[in-house]
Amino acid sequence: MGTISLTIDGQGVEVQEGKTILQASREAGIVIPTICDHKDLNPYGACRMCVVEIEGVRGFPTSCTTPASDGMVVKTQSAELTTLRNRTLELMLSGHPNSCLVCVHREACEKYRPGATKAGRATRCGFCSNREECSLREMALRAGENELGLPTLYSAHNVERSDPFMDRDYNLCILCGRCWRICEKIHGKPAISIINRGKWARLGTAFHKSHVFSGCTFCGSCIDICPTGTLTDRFARWYGKPDDRNLSACTLCAEGCSLFALTKSRRLVATRMTSFQWEASLCALGRFALAQIVNAPERLIRPAVQEGEDQIPCDWDTALELAASELPRFTESLAIVVSESTTREDRFLYARLAERLGASLIVVPSSRNGVEKELQGFTADLEKGRFRAVISGGDFLSAELLKGLNFSVVIDCLPSSGARGAKVVLPAAVLSEVEGTWRNVSGEVKELPAVSLPPGQARPEWQIICQLAQKMGLEGFEFKSAREVTSLVGSDPAPRPFDGEPRRGLRQLPSRFRGHLAADWVRPLEAFGMPSTPLEEMTESSKEGFEILERREVVPNMYFIKIMAPQVAKFAKPGQFVILMARETSERSPFTLVDWNGAEGTISLIIEEVGRSSRELISLPVGARVAHVSGPLGMPLPMEKKGTVVLGGGCYGIGAIYPIARGLREAGNHVIVVIEASSSYLLFMEDELKTVSDELIIATKDGSRGTRGGVQEVFVNLVQRGVDVAMFVAVGCTFMMRMAAEATKPLGIPTLVALNPIMVDGTGMCGACRVSIEGRTRFACVDGPFFDAHGVDWDELFSRRSAYSREEIEAMPQMVDLNALIHPHGSGGGCGSSCSHR
Amino acid sequence: MAKMTEEKTGARGGAQAKSKKKKTPRQPMPEQDPRRRRHNFEEVPQGYSEETAILEAGRCLQCKKAGCIQGCPVNIHIPGFIGLIAEGRFVEALLKLKEQNALPAVCGRVCPQESQCEALCILGKKGEPVAIGRLERFAADYAREHGGVPDPEQAPATGKKIAVIGAGPAGITVAGELARWGHDVVIFEALHLAGGVLMYGIPQFRLPKEIVQYEISSLQKLGVEIRTDYIIGKTQTVDQLLEEDFDAVFIGTGAGLPVFLGIPGENAIGVFSANEFLTRVNLMKAYDFPKYATSPIRPRQVITVGGGNVAMDSARTSLRLGAGSTIVYRRSRSEMPARAEEIHHAEEEGVEFHLLTNPVRILTDEKNHVTGMECLKMELGEPDASGRRRPIPVEGSNFIIPADTVIISIGNQPNPLVPQTSPEIEVTRKGTIITDPETMMSSKPGVFAGGDIVSGAATVISAMGQGKKAARAIHRYLMGEDPPEANPETPDNDTQED
Ligand SMILES: Cc1cc2nc3c(=O)[nH]c(=O)nc-3n(C[C@H](O)[C@H](O)[C@H](O)COP(=O)(O)OP(=O)(O)OC[C@H]3O[C@@H](n4cnc5c(N)ncnc54)[C@H](O)[C@@H]3O)c2cc1C
Ligand code: SF4
Ligand code: SF4
Ligand code: SF4
Ligand code: SF4
Ligand code: FES
Repeated sequence: MGTISLTIDGQGVEVQEGKTILQASREAGIVIPTICDHKDLNPYGACRMCVVEIEGVRGFPTSCTTPASDGMVVKTQSAELTTLRNRTLELMLSGHPNSCLVCVHREACEKYRPGATKAGRATRCGFCSNREECSLREMALRAGENELGLPTLYSAHNVERSDPFMDRDYNLCILCGRCWRICEKIHGKPAISIINRGKWARLGTAFHKSHVFSGCTFCGSCIDICPTGTLTDRFARWYGKPDDRNLSACTLCAEGCSLFALTKSRRLVATRMTSFQWEASLCALGRFALAQIVNAPERLIRPAVQEGEDQIPCDWDTALELAASELPRFTESLAIVVSESTTREDRFLYARLAERLGASLIVVPSSRNGVEKELQGFTADLEKGRFRAVISGGDFLSAELLKGLNFSVVIDCLPSSGARGAKVVLPAAVLSEVEGTWRNVSGEVKELPAVSLPPGQARPEWQIICQLAQKMGLEGFEFKSAREVTSLVGSDPAPRPFDGEPRRGLRQLPSRFRGHLAADWVRPLEAFGMPSTPLEEMTESSKEGFEILERREVVPNMYFIKIMAPQVAKFAKPGQFVILMARETSERSPFTLVDWNGAEGTISLIIEEVGRSSRELISLPVGARVAHVSGPLGMPLPMEKKGTVVLGGGCYGIGAIYPIARGLREAGNHVIVVIEASSSYLLFMEDELKTVSDELIIATKDGSRGTRGGVQEVFVNLVQRGVDVAMFVAVGCTFMMRMAAEATKPLGIPTLVALNPIMVDGTGMCGACRVSIEGRTRFACVDGPFFDAHGVDWDELFSRRSAYSREEIEAMPQMVDLNALIHPHGSGGGCGSSCSHR
Repeated sequence: MAKMTEEKTGARGGAQAKSKKKKTPRQPMPEQDPRRRRHNFEEVPQGYSEETAILEAGRCLQCKKAGCIQGCPVNIHIPGFIGLIAEGRFVEALLKLKEQNALPAVCGRVCPQESQCEALCILGKKGEPVAIGRLERFAADYAREHGGVPDPEQAPATGKKIAVIGAGPAGITVAGELARWGHDVVIFEALHLAGGVLMYGIPQFRLPKEIVQYEISSLQKLGVEIRTDYIIGKTQTVDQLLEEDFDAVFIGTGAGLPVFLGIPGENAIGVFSANEFLTRVNLMKAYDFPKYATSPIRPRQVITVGGGNVAMDSARTSLRLGAGSTIVYRRSRSEMPARAEEIHHAEEEGVEFHLLTNPVRILTDEKNHVTGMECLKMELGEPDASGRRRPIPVEGSNFIIPADTVIISIGNQPNPLVPQTSPEIEVTRKGTIITDPETMMSSKPGVFAGGDIVSGAATVISAMGQGKKAARAIHRYLMGEDPPEANPETPDNDTQED
């Protein structure tokens, strides 16, 4: 094939024949915006962002599908093209949550709320885990905050989260088709495709089957290629954009697949394929489980030695010295058992140690059907008394076997019942924490960089062996790094082949890592039928607690919940809140009372799904019981006559201002209620609020209804209109209240806000909820929640509210409900028909 | 913070032992190895075996005028129960204890015996006192584990109804007594679990929560109703309780309001009141995160400010969360109000002590996270009102201790919720409820109070002692007669040793 020359934006370009205009432009360094295009996919021409003008050609062809030809004159920029692209973008965004893209407060919002909120549904970028890496968002922002000409249609699909490892929110899907195309490219027959047509078109599996039964291998490529927040990795999603990416390999089976290790602050958040092709694909273990094993909260973090019946934690020197003083006594009766998943350097040093001590070395390969088979001969030898001591690099031997020996050292990363029988336990760094090389079954040698920090005092095994050997006075172990060992390894044997093809089927995954059942540490693997040790059930009585009488998702993420709680209902007053615990193991979390009925004994709340606790609560069905409801808490807002009062509500605050409006109106005030939402479809309780106010004003951030902006814009308008406001009360998220406070301060209008710091008891006992008001520390739960907005130290409040953001991410549930998997549409918190969109 | 009840060593020295019996040494308590226990939440002392208990009980001289009884704030018949242990009659020993003390398994573990009963033990004057606390704990644990404890006798129903506010030791004692005397008792507890400080404050490794829950369940067996999640002063007021259907009210809401230092940086992320820190770990079980959803504190280097039991508990809990742990206390070692055993345990486990040191400010980074604390060295001056020598700052002795977590444990004030909402109940300037010392009745007729809400932060046993007194007074108030005392021969309080 020859080369051709063409002109793009006045620039002469030479490319190989057969390239598309898009490819030609890229080679020339000319940027054409694209969405559905991806370098690893065939041109598709779906999004129409890449349109260009070609001299002599009518219309606006898509550059990704049009081949470049000799002498062609192409324009990639023109007023018409910009309009066209903006229209395309608008169209795409009209079916996509877009309020953050057009919001007038975006900059302040991003400044005060740097991390995405862990909402159930991403109804805007601020709730979307893709925010930091979103190409759609980037493109929209580059196009400018132009007014959207089209109404926002929120599709209200159920968020799909009953599959292991992935969350899917098809409300964000722009139908670029990247996901099914990559799935088809990699696997031949795609597990997902566009189902339904026209307005109802969406992505999904055939017959809405769970991915587990749809032929999906959980390679994760669809997640990694999706330009939006539709498809996400449940474990990694809320950590935000990784700050480093390194080429490494998975050593969980003999395949030794290459992968990218993605880390953030030296913590492994995900592992993914190095490129989008079958050859580079990963199995579910390599793509999803690896990071979860490394991050398992149960990891061993300090050495321990046995004394009597007890294992006593100790420092490294003590443990190593004990091992070093005992081990040399055994020579031939010592066996060293190591897993093939360790690095070549580790195994080389283990082998050298075995050789110097005259011990036997047993290398355990990864296998699908357990390690028992592999270890049969060895355990028989042990039982016969052939060995009197072992060093075991994993969960290979039972506690009884170890106890029967004269001496034993376990070097491992996770606790095991076997290790409890060992004389010395040493915590090992593993996988992404260890530097070294690895030879796979095809003989390729791969580099393993140490990219994440080991937990506690855990150390890499090469280092442990060197230190142990040196303490024994052995020579040939004076290495300062694994790198110094690499050149000595020479021609080590390739690992024994794995008895399955993990990348082809979920039933062929390796079930063990260093002898441990992988599903014990990564429970979602149970959904693939992987063996695990049963968990002890937490039994809770269903009789006690507070019954849920009603539960509706009124608008996306907002749940109206009515609970039987007579003691609260009887004494509640406007502005008070309750503390709920969904279960005995839950956090105590505060929620403002929206309504109550003393005669019926019921209370109503609006719960916004923004994290683990709220999710736990809204997942309880009608008829279930909330373990604890305590309240009413906080000082009620005095229901005094003031004149004209303005009440501002945002998010859950729309519900929370309802009883305040009612009370203040009954007290004879002229009540103006202002509610804000990011978009019109997120507004709720309008009818109810109309009945308790003299005027109801609406604001939306995207301008889809009412005033464009928030409560503060409306308020300023009111004052300019000459309304004499005696008091302003704002209830909502901290950001909204702060903005409101900033707007009313220069006007000198008394403003109250209902502060929502982190609370524990809610009774004034712990001080977690302390806030600074005019330089004085107050407890929001008993002195508040209402405070003078102009005296609040907002920066302190923002920082204190974020104190546990990392713990909150770690606490997001990863478990899958095996029942929900088999009946995917039976339950699971969908918006469904009960969702009322206006 | 627990206050010093008696001078620690006041009664020692001088007197000679009255017995010529062969000496058995005071039996040591088996304990979990400090190197292991500093990393776990299991109980530290592991309890006497039957043999050791009998041996230790055999040391008791069975004094006719037993000093120990005077030392005990509830006047447990100490020689009596110890004699029963010596004879191997363990369950009967427990019953003897129960006559005076509703929570022997708890008191055996947390009472400051060295300044109470054991301080007045005659053996202590020459050698080591009888290990009364350990024996108390033994009898209670034995009975709990082996069963065979007969249900307490309950008087016929009186038809009177009493509201008890707060399910701490004071409330538990009142409720137990009144229920036995045939009254209908309802306990209102603000938190989701009953037990008060025993549940949220004192850590698992000192007082296993299972023991507290066992005691609570025996209360329920007596017919006491416990309404958790019920905050008097919020959910309902005392006045409403009296108007509705209660004949009397007992307030045992404790001293739960944390005191802060008032120094710069105190609202930084990483500064906790001891209450918050301990509540997260004990009540909310954050150490078992993420199974329990409350966000844990993951300290690396902790400074605990204070020198009481609460401070020791916080410092030792910090160790167990994997942190280095330092105590900063402004007076000297001998002024520390904590139980001797707790200070000893803390030292053994590796808590560092900065004595005669006062915090000046807490240092933070740009994200408002704690990075350390600036302190000032102190020296001791003249004795102050509390009789302890007043610490005076040493000019220019400022220094910085690096830390990522600071726990403020300088005391708790009375819980203001109830008095705030019941104006007729008079309180002192410090917020404690004023009561008649004999009847524990407050300025509002029919409303009684006891425990930390009356005495200020004190001890479990003094709360129980006041609860006992109040229970008797309530019975008298309602019935016009003395309660049917199971054991009327209450020891004579006026008898003094020597
Ligand atoms: C960490 C710690 C360690 C300690 N160590 C020791 C020790 O080793 N030895 C010792 O003797 N003492 C110790 N103490 C002190 C001892 O625990 C207290 O003196 C004792 O618990 C007081 O009992 P109480 O019943 O008065 O109050 P609390 O135990 O405080 O109980 C009060 C209860 O009332 C509830 N309540 C409060 N307000 C309301 C309301 N408005 N409505 C309904 N319920 C309400 C609270 O939630 C709580 O459950 C320690 C204290 C702490 C915090
Ligand atoms: S995918 Fe998420 S971040 Fe991207 S535009 Fe949509 S909502 Fe915003
Ligand atoms: S995870 Fe892989 S196999 Fe499954 S749908 Fe996505 S691309 Fe296809
Ligand atoms: S799920 Fe993602 S990749 Fe697939 S079509 Fe939708 S936006 Fe594109
Ligand atoms: S097949 Fe799976 S387990 Fe094996 S190396 Fe590849 S990613 Fe790892
Ligand atoms: S939440 Fe504990 S004092 Fe307010």
